[in-house]
Parts: sequence; structure tokens; C-alpha cells
Amino acid sequence: MATIDQAFAGLRRLPSSHHRHSPKSHHHLRRPTHIVAARSSPKLSGRPLRVAVIGGGPAGGAAAETLAKGGVETFLIERKLDNAKPCGGAIPLCMVGEFDLPLDIIDRRVTKMKMISPSNVAVDIGQTLKPHEYIGMVRREVLDAYLRERASSAGATVINGLFLKMDLPPPQDPSAPYTLHYNLYDGSASGTKQSLSVDAVIGADGANSRVAKSIDAGDYEYAIAFQERIKIPKSKMAYYENLAEMYVGDDVSPDFYGWVFPKCDHVAVGTGTVTHKGDIKKFQAATRNRAKEKIEGGRIIRVEAHPIPEHPRPRRVAGRVALVGDAAGYVTKCSGEGIYFAAKSGRMCAEAVVEGSEGGRRMVEEGDFRGYLEKWDKTYWPTYKVLDVLQKVFYRSNPAREAFVEMCADEYVQKMTFDSYLYKTVVPGNPLEDLKLAVNTIGSLVRANALKREMDKITL
Amino acid sequence: MSMALFSPPHLPSTLSSSRPNYSSPLKLSLLPLHLSKRNLVLLPTKAVNVGEEVTNSAVKVEEKKLDEKDEKEELGVGSEGVKFGDPRWVGGTWDLKQFVKGGSTDWDAVIDAEARRRKWLIDNPESSSNDDPVVFDTSIIPWWSWVKRFHLPEAELLNGRAAMVGFFMAYFVDSLTGVGLVDQMGNFFCKTLLFVAVLGVLLIRKNEDIDTLKKLFEETTFYDKQWQATWQDENASSPKD
Ligand SMILES: Cc1cc2nc3c(=O)[nH]c(=O)nc-3n(C[C@H](O)[C@H](O)[C@H](O)COP(=O)(O)OP(=O)(O)OC[C@H]3O[C@@H](n4cnc5c(N)ncnc54)[C@H](O)[C@@H]3O)c2cc1C
Repeated sequence: MATIDQAFAGLRRLPSSHHRHSPKSHHHLRRPTHIVAARSSPKLSGRPLRVAVIGGGPAGGAAAETLAKGGVETFLIERKLDNAKPCGGAIPLCMVGEFDLPLDIIDRRVTKMKMISPSNVAVDIGQTLKPHEYIGMVRREVLDAYLRERASSAGATVINGLFLKMDLPPPQDPSAPYTLHYNLYDGSASGTKQSLSVDAVIGADGANSRVAKSIDAGDYEYAIAFQERIKIPKSKMAYYENLAEMYVGDDVSPDFYGWVFPKCDHVAVGTGTVTHKGDIKKFQAATRNRAKEKIEGGRIIRVEAHPIPEHPRPRRVAGRVALVGDAAGYVTKCSGEGIYFAAKSGRMCAEAVVEGSEGGRRMVEEGDFRGYLEKWDKTYWPTYKVLDVLQKVFYRSNPAREAFVEMCADEYVQKMTFDSYLYKTVVPGNPLEDLKLAVNTIGSLVRANALKREMDKITL
Repeated sequence: MSMALFSPPHLPSTLSSSRPNYSSPLKLSLLPLHLSKRNLVLLPTKAVNVGEEVTNSAVKVEEKKLDEKDEKEELGVGSEGVKFGDPRWVGGTWDLKQFVKGGSTDWDAVIDAEARRRKWLIDNPESSSNDDPVVFDTSIIPWWSWVKRFHLPEAELLNGRAAMVGFFMAYFVDSLTGVGLVDQMGNFFCKTLLFVAVLGVLLIRKNEDIDTLKKLFEETTFYDKQWQATWQDENASSPKD
């Protein structure tokens, strides 16, 4: 009881503590208060603002390109230029447009998404897609290299090196540069130790971020995701031509889903969990088992595992250092989507720097980075929260999953979810359809739950 | 190794051929509600991964190829998995003709049959199949037969656990409005989803014990706190505001 009261209090306190800034606003996010601050920051003489981006994934690539285009002297440090980040590689349609991606980096266009319940009821949730709509499937080594290449042609210096640590400016001189230490991979066996002085740092170095450690950003809860690349016979591959599968069930994952995603010439089969990390191999075996008929005779060509953040780190900005992408913790629940959000946050953060420095001519301040955080949370926090709630409710028990799959059979639900996923904006719903949906879903939930109750009584 | 992964669970041969016993569905439904959850008499099929060494330590989270020696191995040449079988389960659905009793469909028996099938699948997850898809849809069972059947337990909601459930719902709604989510969702569809989610919590979770619910509160507040941490931090560190 006490804990719950505290919970209430904790939630309540926030909006009121901000009421001086926005007395009428209910939401907890601060209004911009000192956007003007940057204008008073010192003008740099004889050189542009220098910013280092650590990590050349989608977050880093997008950030570096925007910085370089905006007149900032940009260094992009990536430890492995042919890195194939373990990832399903599904991207929403709007990313192709917003980041102007060439169509040839998209291996497959998925137009059918099969969602399969614990009792193997399968619904195709792609039925409402229009002819030009699809989910893009990319290989990360291709996407990441492409984005870095674009940053480089916009003027960023791409450095193949491993970032080790950085020295923060001393407290008595907060505008002093940050000194980064990294191991330059220059062809010598172990690389050479180098350092670099910059005015600001964007940490885009993924889930195990060293930048986050350097600024004491705190930890996040994470899911472990496991994935096997499986080369399956041509005849079987035909089925996955433009189709992806999602499996839900206690066997596959206690709190997430298992997937089969088509790649260029193979499929990626994987699953993830937060709550039972030690059992991940068991869940992977179960995922393979559920997809067995369709991948039989396949050969595993690669096995990979990687953490997925569950929520943002407690601190995402400190001084002139900001975190973006997985380093910050921007993966959605439910769908486990992070590529688009990584690229978007990288770009948004870089835009704040470009704006705050007036095109690289002035020094930036923490306030400029806070501007990015503010905009980010305002734009996306509701999305993260809704998906968090949905995951908690629908992914945690088999009856809920059955109901979820039944719900997904509804055309209206498909249209709305796909619209939200593909375009990241939500069109206004139709109240009558919403009402029908609510009634139907409640029906599904009641039925699934009733069956569960019967199941509990049975001994086989 | 992967062959072992794909091989079916070792079931006693009698199980695959034995048929569930449906003789007394009515009696079943009169049993007390809280029968122990998984008091299964047959114990053989704990896990799908016979022969796999599941280590207890968490998988190493650094990105790397975990198991290069896997590369050349073939998947799934094992024998057929054990499939759910019942003479009335035909073509991926319950053959309603076989459920006719006194001229009309005995929906109670259909509910029993499906409950059994789902129970079986918990311990014997089946491969999903394109050639033999599951087409059974619980919504074909008319609403009145659910109501008739589950009349009693549902009434329980109204008294015993109502306090707890209401509590939770209040918390949920409050947390969503308190942090401004409902305000910020300009979109009715999302609001509907949230509404349904709250109801889902009511319906699905009411059977769970209070500890589970507590854990869920904690997780939810934790999640909110993580997002808010950035802003609290600022308040503390910049008194000039
Ligand atoms: C198995 C799995 C499946 C997924 N599937 C999908 C999906 O289908 N769709 C989707 O949208 N998201 C998916 N995600 C999430 C997605 O992969 C991430 O959210 C996304 O990659 C985040 O991008 P990023 O640029 O922030 O970080 P990363 O992609 O992790 O990039 C970080 C980069 O920094 C480099 N780096 C790290 N440390 C250093 C250092 N010290 N010095 C120099 N360089 C460094 C790394 O080499 C890497 O290139 C999946 C994740 C996993 C684990």
C-alpha cells in the first residue's frame, strides 16, 4: 500500500514541480526555457565547433551527417567499419523517405507479417497495406556503411578506432575541451593510441556505451536478444520472399516475441527476453521448433546475441555530452524497434547542436543538448509509454497473447498499427471503429481468459 | 548438436495415442476454481530442447559470433514432432458436426475440447504449419454459451477481489493521466488501446496473486521514473531555473 502511495506521489510531484514554467500544461515535460542561452555563448574564433560522434551505427551516421552539413567540424569514430550489428534489420517506410535511403540497400520488402499465437492461430497483419507500402529489411553492415559514407561525403572525418575513455573539462574551467582517447586501427597489429580534443561529444556507441560510462549516465534494464542466421533451401525461402513471422507464447519468450525475418539470401530466426535471460537458448530452440516446418533442412550460418535497452538511461545529457540511439536507450517495447529511433535521435541531437552553435560558429552549452532531450521526449515519449503498457498487458500470458492475435486479425487494428509503424504519425481514428474494436477485444480477452480458467482445472 | 535441438520431446508412446477423456465436462466445471496450476500427472516433456546444454549463466551480452562451429550443421532432420490429435480436430478446427447433441451444437463440449488442446500445447508447443493451418476461432462460439458457462466465476469479480482490481485500475488510469499520457494522446485509437489494456489487466490478471500485481506496479513506476530521471536531475542541478 505504502509503495503504491509513493508511486502516486512520485508521479504527481513532477508536473507540479514544473508548474512555474507551464502552469496550465499537465504533462511533465518542460517547456523550452532558455533556448536563447546559446546565443550568449562565446563566438569561436578562427575555427568551427568540433564535435566527436562515437559509434558509427544508424545513430552515429545520422548525427555525423547532420553535423557536417551544418558547418560543424565532425569526427566519427567507429571501431569496426564492416560491423554487422546483430539486428533483425526491419525499418519502417518513413525511414526510407526521411533519410533518403536508396532502394538498393533494401534487401526485401515485407508486405505480409504473420503473427502466430501460442495455439498456432496465424493472422496476416499486412492485409491493409497499399501497393507501395512495405517494411524494409536491410543488412546492417550495408545500412551503417551507407550512412557513414554519406556523413563522410558531407565532410565528416571518419576514424576507424576504438574509443577508450575521455577526460572531462576540469570544474574550474567548464568550457575547456573534452579529450578523447582512442585506439586508432591503422593497420598495425594492436593499433595506436591517439587522442583528440573536441568541444562536444555525441555518444552513439550502442548498448554497451563507453560514453555513457564516462559521464556516469547510469544503467538501464535490458533484454537479451538472440538470433540465428539460417540458410534454408530455396523452395522454403520462397515462402519468406516478402513475409516475416512473429511468434508469441510462453514457450518462445515469457515477455517478448520470437521472429523469422527474411534477409537477402537467408532468414534470421530469433527471440528475446528481459525476465529470463538465462533461458534464452531454450526460447531460441522453441522459436526454431515453432517455425520448424518452414526452416527444416536449413543451415545455421551465424549465431549472434546482443542486449536491447528497455528504457532510457537516467542521464542522457551531461555538460556537452549527449547520448543518442541505443546508448541513450531508445528502443520501443512490443516491437523492439530501434534503428529508426537511433537515426532520428542522432539527427535531432545534431540539429540542436547546429542550431545552438549557429552553424558551428559559437560554443554550445548543456542547454542546447537539453533542447534535444526536450523535443525528443515530447515527440516520442507517448509512443514508448503506450508500447510499454501494451507489452505488459499482451505479452505476459498465453491467454493475453491469444486475445492479442485475435485483435490483430481485425482490419482496422491492422490499418492503424501499420500506419503508426510505417509513418510514425497516427491518423485520427474512427470513433465507431474504435468502439467496435474495444468491444471485440474485450470479447477476445474474456474468451481467452475463460479458456485459461478451464485449462487450469484440467490435468492431462 | 542442432539435430538434437530439433528432435521431438521424448514422450511415452502411450501419450501420443491416448485421447483426452471428455466424459464429464460438467463435473469439471464444478470443480473448485483454484486447482493447483500445473499438477500434471505426466511429466516427461519439460523442455523442447532435449540434449541441449542450457547454461544457467546469462548469455554473454557482447556482440560476437557465439558458436562458429555451428556453421556447417543441418537443421531439423529429426523425426516428426508429436502433434496434438483428437478425432474431432479436423483440418485445423473443431469439426462441429461431431459436437451435435440433441440436434444442436454442444458448445460446452467445444470449449472443453479447446481448453484441453491449449493445455496440451503448453507442454508440447507445436510447429506452425502452412499446409495444416489452425483455423479455429473462439469467436464462433456464441457469446451466450460463454456467459452461461462462466456465469458464476465472473460474479466473483464483483465482490471478493474487486477492491484489489479496482485499486490496480485506479493506479493504472492515474499513472497514465498523472504523467500526462492520456492528455498527450491526441489520438482516439491509442486511447482505445489503453482502455482495452486496462480492461485486459482486469480480466487476465485477476487470477494472479497480489505479488505479481505488485511487481507490475513496481515495473511500471520504474519505467516512468527512468524517463523522468533526466528532468529531475536538471531540477536538482540547476537551481537557476
Ligand atoms: C537481435 C536484435 C534484433 C533487432 N531487430 C531490430 C529490427 O528488426 N528493427 C529495428 O528497428 N531494430 C532492431 N533492433 C534494435 C537495433 O538494432 C538498435 O536499436 C540499433 O542498432 C541502435 O542503433 P545505434 O546506432 O544506437 O547503435 P548500434 O547499432 O549498436 O551502433 C553502435 C556502433 O558503435 C560502435 N561502437 C561501440 N562501441 C564503440 C567504441 N568504444 N568505439 C568505437 N565504436 C564503438 C559499434 O561498432 C557500432 O557500430 C534489434 C536488436 C537486436 C539485438
